Amino acid sequence: MLRVRVVELGLVSPVRSQSVYHAVGYALRPGDPPTILLVSPTDPYVSIGFHQDAEREVDLEHCRAAGLPVIRREVGGGAVYLDHNQVFTQWIFPREAVPVRLEDRFALYVQPLVETYRSLGIEAAWRPVNDIHVRGRKIGGTGAASLGESEVLVGSLMFDFNHQQMARVLKVSSEKMRDKVVQSLEEYVTTMRRELGAVPPRDEVVQRYLDACAAALGAELVPGTLTAEEEELAAQLDERFLSDEWLFQKGGLRQRGIKIHEDVRLMESAIKVPGGLIRVIVRVHGGRIDDLSLSGDFTLLPALGLAAIEQAVRGLVVHRDELSRRIQDVYRALGVQSPGVTPDDFASAIAQAVQAA
Amino acid sequence: MAEVRGCQIPEDRYYWPEKHVWARPEPDGTVTIGITDTAQHLAKTIISVTPRGVGRQVQRGRSAGTLESGKWVGPVTSPISGEIVAVNDAAVANPKLLNEDPYGAGWFARIRPDDWASESRELVTGAEAVEAYRAILEREGISCA
Repeated sequence: MLRVRVVELGLVSPVRSQSVYHAVGYALRPGDPPTILLVSPTDPYVSIGFHQDAEREVDLEHCRAAGLPVIRREVGGGAVYLDHNQVFTQWIFPREAVPVRLEDRFALYVQPLVETYRSLGIEAAWRPVNDIHVRGRKIGGTGAASLGESEVLVGSLMFDFNHQQMARVLKVSSEKMRDKVVQSLEEYVTTMRRELGAVPPRDEVVQRYLDACAAALGAELVPGTLTAEEEELAAQLDERFLSDEWLFQKGGLRQRGIKIHEDVRLMESAIKVPGGLIRVIVRVHGGRIDDLSLSGDFTLLPALGLAAIEQAVRGLVVHRDELSRRIQDVYRALGVQSPGVTPDDFASAIAQAVQAA
Repeated sequence: MAEVRGCQIPEDRYYWPEKHVWARPEPDGTVTIGITDTAQHLAKTIISVTPRGVGRQVQRGRSAGTLESGKWVGPVTSPISGEIVAVNDAAVANPKLLNEDPYGAGWFARIRPDDWASESRELVTGAEAVEAYRAILEREGISCA
């Protein structure tokens, strides 16, 4: 029977909550057992994806002022605000102990998380490839990386999540965009607290999770500790992860807008037209416009015309000609006048937000 | 070009099949390296390509840079030791090239090898490569179809 070492680290420093699984991964040698680490940070921090550009994605000035460390991880994805209200569930497995196909690997990793939530009465389900959803809302994401000879899978038990702080640490073009991020997180992200009305006892949830891991892996879980080598490596990585050189590495990852979950993304654009500047914030859900916010320095009358346009395009797929036709309908119905700004300009701005890299 | 379980394996490359990387000696003595069709298939849509910089030394078996797909991050293991003399800027700007054309426009880096003559003997090429790769694909149950 497969034996898996389980190391419950409780609360550790923000940097250690990231460095520790890297250390275990890089220290892994052929023949070593798989490890599951359970850990939470003592204090909040911001974790950024391996290939992100910190200055472009995160409001570093705010983070400095608020005393929030910003820590680059060697796992992909986007910036996220983390605190003690999540228990990180970090799997560090020998390559041969996980499925080769990523879908299968995530299916295995996600299963105990889903079962833990379900055992608490939360209708969680795997949203392939690597999300967990509760009736259309995300309850934590997951990620994978190859570190040294190991394959690493990371995610969390989401007791609670601070939407305001999450939105606050991101670098966004306007406060309006920030408001949209908060609103979108509220609509599309959930937690145990939200689903259950209260935060369940941590120890009880962790025990349910470990039971589910043993069942999913068909493994015996053996409580353990870190080796001296792992501890030493973690200490070295703490230093590296806290260095400016590491933080300010130029990441090449450019993603469209802000991903709220697998099916939901917030995007923006600004285009200049003869009548002025058009700013667009658009949220797309499953390929359709879910929310639209138009602003700028152009003149449009009657004033309610703008809200009418925003309403009229909801539910549409982002197709410029179709958007343009629908906006023309609003112009006709309300007798909209907008000198130097045409329905087609709005359609272009929306299309650009969604297509811009 | 050979195809095994839907994965393309051009015979004119040198492979390290377990690491899913290829190498091709160039007329000027440098060696181009890249990931295989299998690698790009397993990684899925690649969204970031980050070779180590020009001038950096890489060791065979160590990372020549990293990739990120929507779901995974990992190294591109260098099949040879040497100095990076060029990186594929087009792929850095458009990472999907590694998915679309892993043996052509989606190459990863070019290396001035320390010792191609002996290190290339650790790699497999031609029909031998196809068979070695076939064994791995079958053992791991990997299919690119």
